[in-house]
Amino acid sequence: MGLALIVGLLGLLILFHAAYSTIQYRGLLKITEEEFSGPPFDVVIELFLGLLLCFWAALTAPGKFLSIHPHSEDNRIVSLPANLDFMIFNHRGKAFPVEMDLKLRQ
Amino acid sequence: MAGPFELGSSKKKPGDGVNDLLTFNAENMQSNMKIIYYSRTFLSIIGGVVAGILGFTSLKGFVFYFLLMMVTSLGLVAKARFSIHSYFDSSNRVLLDGFLGGLMSFVLFWTFAFDIVHIF
Repeated sequence: MGLALIVGLLGLLILFHAAYSTIQYRGLLKITEEEFSGPPFDVVIELFLGLLLCFWAALTAPGKFLSIHPHSEDNRIVSLPANLDFMIFNHRGKAFPVEMDLKLRQ
Repeated sequence: MAGPFELGSSKKKPGDGVNDLLTFNAENMQSNMKIIYYSRTFLSIIGGVVAGILGFTSLKGFVFYFLLMMVTSLGLVAKARFSIHSYFDSSNRVLLDGFLGGLMSFVLFWTFAFDIVHIF
């Protein structure tokens, strides 16, 4: 998650730098009075690199897909605590209330 | 998952055929769709900036967007480890959802980047 965000930011920075280079190139063309047919080759490479980094970040950053099958491995473990019918409060854990107090004080 | 998210009967075993398609976990599906929208929106914005810097005009830019979305779909399918049906109820969810919404942000950032780089 953190890594993907950093990679995405890096890709954005590269894109901004490519934009800046293109602006400078346009300024140069204005002086030499030539027509603009496309950004220079190294800027195209830079754009492609930035796009690639952002592509990877966009696919990785939002998290993992979760299986929708009710019988799959992931859903079996999660489904028991999520079901309120299976919550039990009348167990031997209530014999140790001290630890709860300690947590609350800290 | 037991309870309100179960649409069909779950008495049959996993590899049992027809009923398997009817039962799925809607909560996880929502989360998967959110991930897809997130990826597509972010990539349309990035694609718009790239198309603007490259100086694409009219049809070229839209072709670029279609190509980008096709590659994104491929990436999402690869992210689902090429088994779409264990994460989504139909393959259209991966291939088409979020396409038009992404087009809007693409055009916005395309014109924005084009104006900044080429006009001003």
